Amino acid sequence: MRPELFDYDDSFERRTRRDRIFFNNPVIMQGLGLAPIIVAATTLKNAVMLSVAVIPLLVLTRVIAAVLARATYFRFRGLTYSVTSAVVYIGVYFLMTKLFTAADLALLGLYLPLLVVDPIVLKRYERPQKERVSTAFSKGVITALGFALTICIVGGLREILGAGALYGVQLVKTPPFPMAAMPAGAFVLLAVLMAAWRGVVNTIKRQVELEKGVRTGE
Amino acid sequence: MSEWREVFSAVAEFFLYAVIAVFAQNAVFTRALGVSRLVHLVDDDNVSSATFAALLTAVQLVSAPLGYFANVYFLRNFEYRMFVRPLVFVLCSAVAFFIVLLLVLVVFRTKGAPRIIPVLPMATFNCCILGTLMITTTQSFTLLQTMGFALGTSIGYALALVVVTEGQRRLQNPNIPAPFRGLPATLLYIGIVALAIYGFTGHMSTF
Repeated sequence: MRPELFDYDDSFERRTRRDRIFFNNPVIMQGLGLAPIIVAATTLKNAVMLSVAVIPLLVLTRVIAAVLARATYFRFRGLTYSVTSAVVYIGVYFLMTKLFTAADLALLGLYLPLLVVDPIVLKRYERPQKERVSTAFSKGVITALGFALTICIVGGLREILGAGALYGVQLVKTPPFPMAAMPAGAFVLLAVLMAAWRGVVNTIKRQVELEKGVRTGE
Repeated sequence: MSEWREVFSAVAEFFLYAVIAVFAQNAVFTRALGVSRLVHLVDDDNVSSATFAALLTAVQLVSAPLGYFANVYFLRNFEYRMFVRPLVFVLCSAVAFFIVLLLVLVVFRTKGAPRIIPVLPMATFNCCILGTLMITTTQSFTLLQTMGFALGTSIGYALALVVVTEGQRRLQNPNIPAPFRGLPATLLYIGIVALAIYGFTGHMSTF
């Protein structure tokens, strides 16, 4: 028996609970932020642009709103979060115009401004508990990164399947699955990705449980 | 006679835009607006879909004219409109939020209101409301077209809610592989319905 492995097990459970990248990915597990993924993320470049916008928008909104929410009545917290994110968006849009050209931003259409009210940014207001600023910051960062990872995977896959290219570079002449560029194809693709991802997570969790059971003799 | 013709064509235009918003440009199936909310709503037993749809319609109908006038009198001529667009529209929906809140309090008094009010923030601050305001203003709809589109979007969302709830009920099947159960199966189902809608409207990739 190796006692240090028990500690590993405890930390595994704690880590899976806190993790927002793989085990509790906000998109795969909770289905947040689906609108930009399904319609706007048709190419890897669009996905990267949306990720760049989401990271500062989500982190700043969550931190500022966590402070403001202390002073507001619970029922109006949705309003606090939305107005905060709309104000933060002014800065984010300024950043986006510096990083990308107007033609690139036009590809995102209304899905860039719509990030302001996306559940991925606003979800926290539904919980009555107030949030510490440090928690808001760290959870905001990992949630945004989890979203960025998923949207880049979906954007890349859709570009390869729907246009036969990756980040604008043509790979094959005929696109293997043109439907992937449409919202209907994206629903199907995301559903398959979600099922595969969840399958892997469940297998890992079951494996760890099994090993733990063997060691503790349960 | 000509007044009658004008009234008739106005009514026809209103319903045309409503029908476009319900079917050809359904908020959920072609634009994926408010899908995250929808997939949670069909699972959530605490929130009634009918209450949500009714509140969404009310907020939509109040905020649409506000958004229209904000666009005509302020945004359209404002140099930095791309920066403040979401802020202006979020404020429009916030005004609609308070108007609908007041209406609920007046109509339902203390009996029904405590059950309805918790749903109101979700029905106000979502992609469906903001998305409609964005679409109607960027495509320069007239007030009549805006109202028709707003009504149609709400009906379309309610319809999607019914279709997905019914689908969800039928997807409670032990033959579905474990990883697909729940969210993935629901998304797959929405994808197939979206494909069916392309079948009779064709797909327009403008967004």
